[in-house]
Amino acid sequence: MNPLSVVVRTICDIFAWFMGIFGVYIIIHGHLTPGGGFQGGAVVATMAAFLLVAYGGKKVLSFVRPGFYSGMETAGLLLFITAGFLGMGTTFFYNFLAGRGGLFGAVVPIGPNSGILNSAGTISVMNIAVGLEVIGGLSLILIYMFKGIRLFDDHAGRSESGHDR
Amino acid sequence: MNGYAHMAVLTIIVISAFYAVWFRDLLSSVISLAVFSLLLSLEFFILQAPDVAIAEAAIGAGLSTAIYIIALRACKALRKPNGGEGR
Amino acid sequence: MKRRVLFLVAVLVVVGVFWGALSRIHPFGDIGRAPMDDYYLENAQQERSVNNVVTSIVFDYRGFDTLGEAAVLFTAVCSVLALFRKGSEGK
Repeated sequence: MNPLSVVVRTICDIFAWFMGIFGVYIIIHGHLTPGGGFQGGAVVATMAAFLLVAYGGKKVLSFVRPGFYSGMETAGLLLFITAGFLGMGTTFFYNFLAGRGGLFGAVVPIGPNSGILNSAGTISVMNIAVGLEVIGGLSLILIYMFKGIRLFDDHAGRSESGHDR
Repeated sequence: MNGYAHMAVLTIIVISAFYAVWFRDLLSSVISLAVFSLLLSLEFFILQAPDVAIAEAAIGAGLSTAIYIIALRACKALRKPNGGEGR
Repeated sequence: MKRRVLFLVAVLVVVGVFWGALSRIHPFGDIGRAPMDDYYLENAQQERSVNNVVTSIVFDYRGFDTLGEAAVLFTAVCSVLALFRKGSEGK
């Protein structure tokens, strides 16, 4: 399958990396700004969608393996469940890191303030875990839909370009 | 001021949803659905729910549009005489 | 005839139950009667040391629901892989 036209490729070249950086920012700052793991992961998965739609599957899958995304999704879910079980001394999903110093343990001042990045305890860990899982899951759905419909073969020189009309 | 923004955004939402059903061309219909989803995320932002707005803009306007375009290409490839499986 | 009477009785029971439920529902746009909201807004920053109250509810107070959401996404990915795997093996 040939890639789309020059306009679409240029726009996707520019915007895909903005999408990736912005999604990682939303994931990491999930406990300070609006957003969180799910929203940031969906934004990063949009980057994979842009590249797949603009360049076609053959070029994208030459440097991205589906096993990488599969491992990312499994690691995210396992990290989430582990962070839930580590608070088992009190209750399930107890926030055992918050406000004790150390990793993600800074005490925030009460009232309106601009926030500290190294705070919020297990909420930050769970943001990163859910972000990994959503990046892996949504990208894997797109990649396997591309592979499953057999569009990687050139159909005897009839490969299309331009619009899908 | 806020009421006029509501009026304008909701009116264009209804118009884009109508055109998503009205178009005979499937690619135009998909693009109209993307416009509908983007305006819906703007409406969520006006209603002061930025979490839902980010999720709607990423999933509704980005991922589902990409999935629809992939499905349209699959339909076109299956419809060719030599390409696809012919089913 | 008996079926029609049973149908009417069932319709009356369903309408009565829904009317009773809808008459006691929270009024739309009324934010005055929500004690849990006030509890979250007042105590989330002190208890969990987090500034974003929405994130503290989603990932801490209601973390079990988020675990269910993650499991739903995992199940969706597994079903998509099971659906499209045969096409990738065939060539």
